[in-house]
Order: sequence, then C-alpha cells, then structure tokens
Amino acid sequence: MLPLTRTVVVVALLASAGCSLQPFQPEPPAAPTRPSPATGGRGPVIVEPPPIESTMPVEPVIQGPAPSIPVPRERPKAATATLSPASRALVTQAQTQRRKGDLPGAAGSLDRALRIEPNNPLLWIELGRLRMDQRNFPQAEAMGRKALSMSVGDSQTQSTAWQLIADSLRARGKNPQAQEALEKSQELSMK
Amino acid sequence: MARRRRTPKSRQQLQRGFVLIALLALVAAIVFVAILDRRVTAQFEGRRWTLPARVYAQPLELYAGQDLSSARFARELTRLGYIAQTPVDRPGTFRRKGDTLDVYVREFRFSDEQQAAQKLRVGFDGEAIASLTSDSGAEVPVFRLDPLLIGSIFPIHGEDRIIVSPAEVPPLLPAALKAVEDRKFDTHHGVNPLAILRALFVNVRAGQVEQGGSTLTQQLVKSYFLDSRRTLRRKGEEAVMAFILESRFEKADIMNAYINEIYLGQDGRRAVHGFGLASQFYFGKPLGELNLPEVALMVAIVRGPSYYDPRRHAERALERRNLVLKVLAEQGVVKPAEAERAMKAPLGITDNAGRSANYFPAFLDLVRRQLREDYQEQALTETGLTVFSTLDPLLQEKAEEALSDELERQDKSGRKGARGLEGSMVVTTPQTGEVVAVVGGRRASFDGFNRALDMKRPIGSLAKPMVYLAALQSGRFTPASLVMDEPVDIKLESGDRWKPNNYDKKVHGQVTLLRGLTQSYNLATVNLGMDVGLGPVTKTYVQLGLDEAPPRYPSILLGTAQLNPVEVAQMYNTLANGGFRSPLRAVRAVVDETGKPLKAPELEVTEAAPAAAVYTLNRMLIEVFERGTARPARKSLPPDLVVAGKTGTSNDYRDSWFAGFSGGHVIVVWFGHDDNSPTGLTGTTGALQAWTRLMSSIATTSFEPLLPEDVEDRWIEYYSGLETSPYCSGSAVSMPFEVGTALNPSQNCPPNISREEAALMQPPDPVDPTGDAVTAPTGAEAPAPTQP
Repeated sequence: MLPLTRTVVVVALLASAGCSLQPFQPEPPAAPTRPSPATGGRGPVIVEPPPIESTMPVEPVIQGPAPSIPVPRERPKAATATLSPASRALVTQAQTQRRKGDLPGAAGSLDRALRIEPNNPLLWIELGRLRMDQRNFPQAEAMGRKALSMSVGDSQTQSTAWQLIADSLRARGKNPQAQEALEKSQELSMK
Repeated sequence: MARRRRTPKSRQQLQRGFVLIALLALVAAIVFVAILDRRVTAQFEGRRWTLPARVYAQPLELYAGQDLSSARFARELTRLGYIAQTPVDRPGTFRRKGDTLDVYVREFRFSDEQQAAQKLRVGFDGEAIASLTSDSGAEVPVFRLDPLLIGSIFPIHGEDRIIVSPAEVPPLLPAALKAVEDRKFDTHHGVNPLAILRALFVNVRAGQVEQGGSTLTQQLVKSYFLDSRRTLRRKGEEAVMAFILESRFEKADIMNAYINEIYLGQDGRRAVHGFGLASQFYFGKPLGELNLPEVALMVAIVRGPSYYDPRRHAERALERRNLVLKVLAEQGVVKPAEAERAMKAPLGITDNAGRSANYFPAFLDLVRRQLREDYQEQALTETGLTVFSTLDPLLQEKAEEALSDELERQDKSGRKGARGLEGSMVVTTPQTGEVVAVVGGRRASFDGFNRALDMKRPIGSLAKPMVYLAALQSGRFTPASLVMDEPVDIKLESGDRWKPNNYDKKVHGQVTLLRGLTQSYNLATVNLGMDVGLGPVTKTYVQLGLDEAPPRYPSILLGTAQLNPVEVAQMYNTLANGGFRSPLRAVRAVVDETGKPLKAPELEVTEAAPAAAVYTLNRMLIEVFERGTARPARKSLPPDLVVAGKTGTSNDYRDSWFAGFSGGHVIVVWFGHDDNSPTGLTGTTGALQAWTRLMSSIATTSFEPLLPEDVEDRWIEYYSGLETSPYCSGSAVSMPFEVGTALNPSQNCPPNISREEAALMQPPDPVDPTGDAVTAPTGAEAPAPTQP
C-alpha cells in the first residue's frame, strides 16, 4: 500500500477504534450563567469551566437575580456507542452461536470482545441478551444496568439498555417495573 | 527287613511331600503371575495415567488498532516457544521484517472452537497493529494465538505430565531411546539377558555407565507400578511384569506409554513425568518442535534426571548429551555430520535464574481453589481437564519483576527493618473481575507460602475509603463537608479507652472530607466513622465484596481488619468498576478431555453501591495522588494516565500496603516481614514504590469514568470546603456533587467570578490556614495506632 493510503487506513482504523470509547468526563457545563453578585451565589450555581482552551460558543450573560429553584441542566449528548471492527466480528460470531444454541461458545466470543473493549456498553448489552438466553434474568438486568452506567448521555444506547432491562423484568413477572423500563426506553429512543 | 520296607514308604511320603510343595509352589507362582497380569492389564489397557488438569493463560488477541509493537509481539511469540526463522514453513515459526511479521500459528483447541494451524501476516505502524491478513490475503478482524501452558493441577503425590499421542512424537525420539537405552527393543520379550551382560561388560570397560541393562519395558514397569526398592524380589517381579506387558501389548503401545510415563525431572513439589511435559519444562515448547540436540539432551536425562539436571549440572548434562549424539551417529540413527553439528549446540534450556519455564504457582493455587468449589479433587487432578485461565503472562512477569526489584532496592537501602522483606501483588481487570496476575512472594516461581491467599494482615489506612464511602452513601456528607480532626477518646467494651493519634501527632482541627481522606488523617476518619456508625461502615466491606463484615470495633476504622491481598483486590475492584461488584475469577472456561465444556465461574455483576457515591469516592482517591499521600509517585507515572488509590500502613509499620487502579487495571501490593517485625516503611515509602513501578511499565488506560446521572462538577476550596473559582483560589479542587447540592460560597474568591474580575483581585492566597504545605504534602502515611 502507498504510504499515504496506509496512513489514511491506519487513521481510519484508529479513529473507529477510538469512537467506541466514551468521551472524557467531567465535561464543561453547557450553559454557563452568571447570577448577579448580589445574590452571593445562593442556591445552585453553574460555574464556568476551568481555564482550558475551549471551542464552545460563548453563552450570553443572563442578567437578574439567581434562580432559587434548581435549573435542570441539560447534559450534552454523548456520541452513540459503536463497536470496533474486532468487537463487531466477535459479536456477530456470538449472535450466530446463540442462534445455533451454542451458548458456551457465545459466552466465549463475548468474553473475548470484553477483553478488547471492556468499557463498551454495547458489549454489556449483548452479554445481557446472552444471559436472557441462559434464562439468567437477574444477571441480564444487571448487565443492562452496567450498560446504562457506561452510556450516560448516549440516549440511543441507554434506550437499548432499558429495553433489555424491561425484558428481563417481564421474564420474571415483574410487569409494572417492566412497563416503567419500557417507557424509559421509548422516551430515550426519541431523543 | 523292617528298615527296607520302611524306606520306600518314607520315600514315597517324601516324594509326595515334594510333589505337594511343588504343586503349591506352582499354584503360588500362577497366582502371583495372575495378579501381576491383572495389574498390568488394568493399569495399562485403559491408559489409566493420572492426567492432571492442564492450565493455560489468556491467549494473546490480535486486532487492527491494538497497542502492540512488533518487538513486543516477537517477544510474546518467543515466550510461546516460536522460533524466528526463514522460511516460515511450519507451525511454531515466525519472521519479522521491517513493519511486517509473518507467523505460522499452531493449531489449538480452544474451549469454543478448534483453530487450525495457519499463517498470518501482521502489519505494524509504530507501536500498534495496522493490519491482519490471512494467507490468502483476506482481512482478519480478530485472531488469537495459541495460549501459553502455565502448569497443571496435579495430585498430592505430585506427578505432573502432558500426554502426547504417537502423532505428536517426533520419530527421532523413539529411535534415540532404542539406540541408547534398549537396542533390541523391537525383538526382545521384555527382558534381555544378553543386554544385561553386555552392559556390564561395556560399562566396566568404558569406566562409565554407557548402557543400561534394563529394557525400556522394564524401565516402564519400574516407573509405572513399583517403588524404588532394588531388591531381588523386585527385580523378579519387574521381569515377570515386563514379560506380561510384552505378550499382551504391541511394541508401539509400550513405546508410547514409556514416552508418557518416564520420570524426567523435579520442580519443587511437582515431579515431571513424560517427554511431553519435559519438553515444556526444559525448552518451553511442544515436543514436536524439538531439534536434534534437544531430543538428545532429553534422552540423556532419562538415565538420571537429578544427576544430569541441565540447570544444576550443565557440564555433566552436556557431556552425556554429546555421548548420546555419538551413539546415535554410531548406530546410524543420524548422520555423523548432523551429530557433529548438534554437539556444538548449547544446551538451549529456557532458564530464568534456575526457575522453570512459565510456571506460576501462586496463580495456579488460586485457580485450584476456585475450581475446588465446582470439582472434586480427583476430577481435577486425574481426568485430563483443560482449564482456560485469566492469567496475562507478560503482566505477571512484570509484576514479579517490579516486586523483586523493589524489595532488592529496599535490601540495599540500609534502612533498619527494610532488609529481607517479603511481598505480594494481585492485579485484576476491573470491568470483568478477571485476575491477571498473582505474585505470592519475592521468589515468585517458588511453590511455597502464597502470601496473596494464605496471609492475612491488618490493612491499615486501606480501610479509610470504606469509612468515607459509607459517609457519602448516608447522604449527609459531600467532599466539602467538614469533619473534626481532633482528639478521640472512646470507651471500648473492655473498659479501656482508645486514644489514637495522627501520624504527625498534630491535630488539624476542622478539615474537609476530601482532605481527611487524601491526607489520611486518623482523627478525622475516626470521628467521621463514629458519626456515620460502625454498622454502615462495616456494611460497605460486604458491599465491596468481602465475604463477611469485619467486627464492629472502632479500631476497624483505622484498619485493624485482617485481610489477604486477594480480598483487598476484590474490594478495590468494585470501586474501580464504579460500584459494580464482580467476583474475582481466575478461570474463564473448563473443558473435559474430549473438549466438551464443563462448569466454570461465569462473569457476574451486581450493582453493589450507588454509582454517585462510588464516583465521588474515586475522585477523592485520584486526589490522593494529586495532593495526598501518593503524591511522591505522581511524577513517576505517565502524565496523562489518571490513577486513583490509597496508601496503607498498619500498627508499628508492620505492613506496608498500596491499593490503586487505572482505567484498565487494579493493583494491590503488600510489603512486610513474615515474622511480623516492623519494616520501618509506610505505604508511601514501601508498597507504593512497587505499585508505581508496575503501573508505569504496563499498557493500560487512564481512569476516566463517566459523570453519573444527576452529578455535576463544582469547585471547592481544599481546606475550607467553600465553593470557589479556580481563577482566584490556589487551592481550588473540582469535585463531584449531586445536582442541587447547597454549598457555601467563599467570600474571598466567589465561585462565579469572571476571569477578568479575578485578575484584578489580589493574588490567590495559597497558604493553608492550619499550616500544612500546599504544594508538597509530606507523603507521610498515618499508621493505625495501638489497638486493645
């Protein structure tokens, strides 16, 4: 391969590998506001981000007294999680194995994927699906919750995780909770 | 007349007596032979060797984008016994050229699939894999190498072996065995009396033991059935059994049994039996990949594995090996030129200062204990299971090195109590709870006292995060909350009064929660713990994965609970995993000898502690490095690697601990003396050094967890806990708080001040009102004081 092409390929591969990782937290808050000094900062205040180079647009200053009720802060959206090529190949393999009823094989494939990308919530959701096949519903739910914790701000992935949680609750006959979880899933999928 | 007539009668009686005795003797002989025959067939027919469980490490996975340089890859291949050579024409070979590495991967039966031997081309770009292609040029997304064999679980009587089938035996081996040990093997019937006589003659003439009189069959019998008593009766039994063996079984079967049975070396507690294991034990590779001098050496060892031990008696071993080569040339098994060349070759033993190749007894110990929960001892040690473990061999080696190097440095430091220290390390991956390395002591490959599992010591200040976690969980405390670092005087059940001190003997007054933990203040922690309650504090131990809560004594707040390093690793693993508890596993999969998957510990997670509380605690543990007792180590770590952790020193400096984690690894280190004498070291000056050495030498990821839902970052002053701005406060720290938390603002440096306004103010006042230095905490660690 020509050096240039090779560089492009490598960059593309590395970028796709990097995309599956979650962005670094803590993030700077989206809307820095400045309550007037008179309030002395009573109640919750939103602080300007630390003095680093920022590409975020400058928000207009809000005049007037600070709000006395908490302002719900819109967390900025995180990128939707994706699988790296290696993980995708293993997940595909696992799904095939599950379909054929080879559950230990699927567990092995997902195990391998988790070693490569332990922080990818999509893998935990896949593992949760496998637990459903294995009729281990409490663990299926736990995997779903783990996926939630790893996909804060990523509404698509969280929606999928809530779906898994809903299914695992329903499988245990916990229908009211399952319904709640399903609604959360639907709400998030529309964001 | 009476005499004459009596003689025939008594003679008859005598004769009858003799006949009777002869008959009895005959019957006895028949019974004797029949018993031996039964034994031979019963043992031999079913190939009933004790087949220990074989344990493998994690396989190295390859994929594009992986952090793996070609140099490191080549080293891993060498560890697996792959040979660098051109052409790459058989399994077990590789070639590195520029940015490319071609490798012929061995076939291997994994727990989930049989992977055929195949060629692979790996392209590198700097320190990472750029591409993976198969022989046909197709792109391969992910690929695993055959895993490293790291040992076996062998029975109490210590025999260990790897069974090899005839197909796995190079033809050179049986040919060499026959040439050296038993020339008439193919034709004799078990015993070769001429050979015995000739051997006597030859050996006496040569002045050395060139030949043995025993046939291979006799040697097999001796090894298989009988003990080492060298009585005449034994010799007789041996001969009979050899004969029975020969008449009942094929020559090929006998040879194969011999190859799998014969004793070839000793490694601590385990006895190496069979050429399959001996090949791994001496050369670190499979039997089929040995070359001429290597095969010759093993045949040489047969005569006396201790006497000809190539590690301890290299010259003797070399001499006998070359003698074997000479005999092989004489007998026409190899060409004289080949033999000449082979004699010049070095012994080729994999050697690491005398230790055996790839043997990790402390880790195997953990594997064994975990498997005992699901398997009977006999099933484990005799039925030929294959165990796929979680060990990362490279990381294990680095851990062993970091520990022994640091302990050696302590030896040379001349400090009182720092000589002859022992240590232990446990490394896990937080998200999955896999145990990737276990170091049981300073001499890691010595199968002795396993300090990682069998030693319980007071954890000292490693216990403080549990107190602070309980405080955060209670909902009444934040990192900005103030606690009193003031004298403690608690009346205990026994009637005694407990009055602990800070390490620096000072009283710091009102301190933030954050500061109390990062500086490891005893008084603040005890006051906080008593406020939160011993019940909730001891409960966090169980939340984090300890089997049993420690007793509710006030002293546990300062770490009198006695734990082993694996238990500590379990608890800190749950912290590193964001409050999700995963039971630590050393085993991923188990298959039986046909390859069928059996029961193995499964990956399990439980949401054990609330995410927000754990996240907040972890942020404080990061500050332990930024401004607390682990500060001295921060500069030795890569600057963009965020780590979190806690130092621990126990009473009288008897135990030095450090437990901490990055994004990819949890590492727990313990230093101390086996006889519990003081070390003179704190967690900072002792265990932290080895921890840092290891953490900075491995490929790992930065600890950067996601901010949980409903949690946000706010700036507070480290000393006062008031909310502030980094633009004008020299001691501002960003800490997480639940959204909506009310915080008192600083008057000197208000939280929402603009950069321009701050610039107009007086310069920030970095001095700590109570007298602690801002920039350089001493790194002193507060040990737990005397306990009743």
